[in-house]
Amino acid sequence: MLRREQRKKRYYSIGFVLPCLVLALFVLIPFLGPSYKTLDLALKIIIFASLVASFDIMLGYTGILSFGHGMFFGIGAYCVAFLNGKYGDPTYFHLFLGLLLAVAVACVLALIVSLISLRVKAIFFAMITLALAELTIVLANKLSHFTGGEDGISISLPGIFSAAFSPGSFLGLDISGRVITYYFILLACLGLFALMLRFTHSPLGRVLQAIRDNTDRAEALGYKTFYFQTLSIVLGCTVAAMTGGLYAMWVGYVNPESTLEVMAIMLNVLLMVIIGGMGTLYGGIVGAAFLLITQTFLPDLQKLAIDLFPNASLLHTILERWLLLFGILFILVVIFFPKGVVGSAREFIARARGEAFFSS
Amino acid sequence: MNATNNNPIIAVKDLTIRFGGHAAVDQVSLEVMPFTLKSIIGPNGAGKTTFFNLLSGQYKPTGGKVFLKGKDITNLSAPMRCRLGLGRSFQLTNIFPLLTVLENVRLAIQARKGYGFNFWRHYLHFSACEDEAYQILKEVLLDEKWLYPANLLTHGEQRKLEMAILMALKPEILFLDEPTAGMSQEEVPAILEILERIKSMGDKTILLVEHKMDMIMNLSDSIAVLQDGRLIADSDPETIYRSKEVQEAYLGGGAKRE
Repeated sequence: MLRREQRKKRYYSIGFVLPCLVLALFVLIPFLGPSYKTLDLALKIIIFASLVASFDIMLGYTGILSFGHGMFFGIGAYCVAFLNGKYGDPTYFHLFLGLLLAVAVACVLALIVSLISLRVKAIFFAMITLALAELTIVLANKLSHFTGGEDGISISLPGIFSAAFSPGSFLGLDISGRVITYYFILLACLGLFALMLRFTHSPLGRVLQAIRDNTDRAEALGYKTFYFQTLSIVLGCTVAAMTGGLYAMWVGYVNPESTLEVMAIMLNVLLMVIIGGMGTLYGGIVGAAFLLITQTFLPDLQKLAIDLFPNASLLHTILERWLLLFGILFILVVIFFPKGVVGSAREFIARARGEAFFSS
Repeated sequence: MNATNNNPIIAVKDLTIRFGGHAAVDQVSLEVMPFTLKSIIGPNGAGKTTFFNLLSGQYKPTGGKVFLKGKDITNLSAPMRCRLGLGRSFQLTNIFPLLTVLENVRLAIQARKGYGFNFWRHYLHFSACEDEAYQILKEVLLDEKWLYPANLLTHGEQRKLEMAILMALKPEILFLDEPTAGMSQEEVPAILEILERIKSMGDKTILLVEHKMDMIMNLSDSIAVLQDGRLIADSDPETIYRSKEVQEAYLGGGAKRE
């Protein structure tokens, strides 16, 4: 009984309250009357947090490194774009169909990828998925009559999601299509997050962690690791495709560069999961927030410096190269949070309580 | 032993595996009777662990067959064999290092009960699994450390944890690959006690690979001796102890081959 109570405490303390506060913040953001830039930033954090969490299921929980995760994100985005732009109409039915198509295509493709490439281990799996991702980019660029090529596809959303929709205001908040879309995506990502949390805390999720720790041992216990790894990949990639579809809804425009590019999507996701902490899920929120906020506001620092110190030209030059500052920040985070922000914080709290630390 | 137990639970026929030109296990045939403890001994490089890997399904043999209760299991995978009741421990400590001690054992119970593919309930809802895991930890004297990550245990404790994982699988047949390997002198008796206890329950068949001759003499019902991949003796401990051939293999095996 002591054990159960100890465990309950663990699951209903900071680890429960903090995510609730974060959620409350995201719910309130539109009410704070932010600029479009801030709203856009908040929403991208939400979407990327979910995307990173889905990547974490594969990398942090199952120990599979895939470079094809951005591909699934892009495929999801294109599915929605096809049905609400190029080949369909802006109706609710087509939107629903687009998201459904994203899920279906991702499921099938993830299954094929696993069947082909799970036979090889670790770095070879990563290479195969990278090759597939590059192939997809080439296809999206070259099959221009089908995908719109480099020009991409514009999306128009139906009814209440369209930018023109404006029924009035509520508690001082101007309800517009954008705000409704914001809440819709927030709700969808919340659902995805809940799904992933439940998945990782289920018996199946525990088996995945066992496979990550020691694949041979898991086999010797009687788990057919191949099936479990496949399931993990299918879930991770399907969620990624969903977030891609939601992303397309928000930005209203899809092209290979912004949704498929390995450097633009995949590298960021990798950085986010490292900053946030592998095998934590919540780390995705921290990682996405850190990366997107710095990428949005660091370029502004130069303007600020010119205003404040008009004569310090060296400072201006340094701040113009804001990526340099970003690199330094990233190194600092990795040094001070070796297990990612969430992972290291959990460790610190456990130590402070005098408990033996366990990672999951 | 009663009449129903006269058939061997495990039978091996001409089992061979080659790595390149080298036959690591060469035409070994032996039988294990149910509810007995059979030890497999031999000098370093005799093929003991390879032989174990063939039995538990980690390797596929080049030739020969493995029978479990008269059924041919040569082509079954390791997880399948595990489900048929073959549990094995490894010579090198083989646990889930980042998971807690309790979780290590719980996963084994979960595997046995087949909850592995359940993904809609929180794993802590399966409290029966947890309670059982805790009970097993008590038996191997690890219950105080249930919340530790397994990689923080001492080597001896990790071996105990391995035994706990194995017991949680409730296998009919236990394959133990040098359970005392790398242990300090003080830790060995605890493992021996656990082994003794499992044996005295009388419902398990145990196959033991061991290096320390003195340790297995008292425990074993029969002993098989491997040398250079071949079976050179298979008999009761007394006979093995006196056998000239075995003594040569152990003491001067390298010199004799010249």
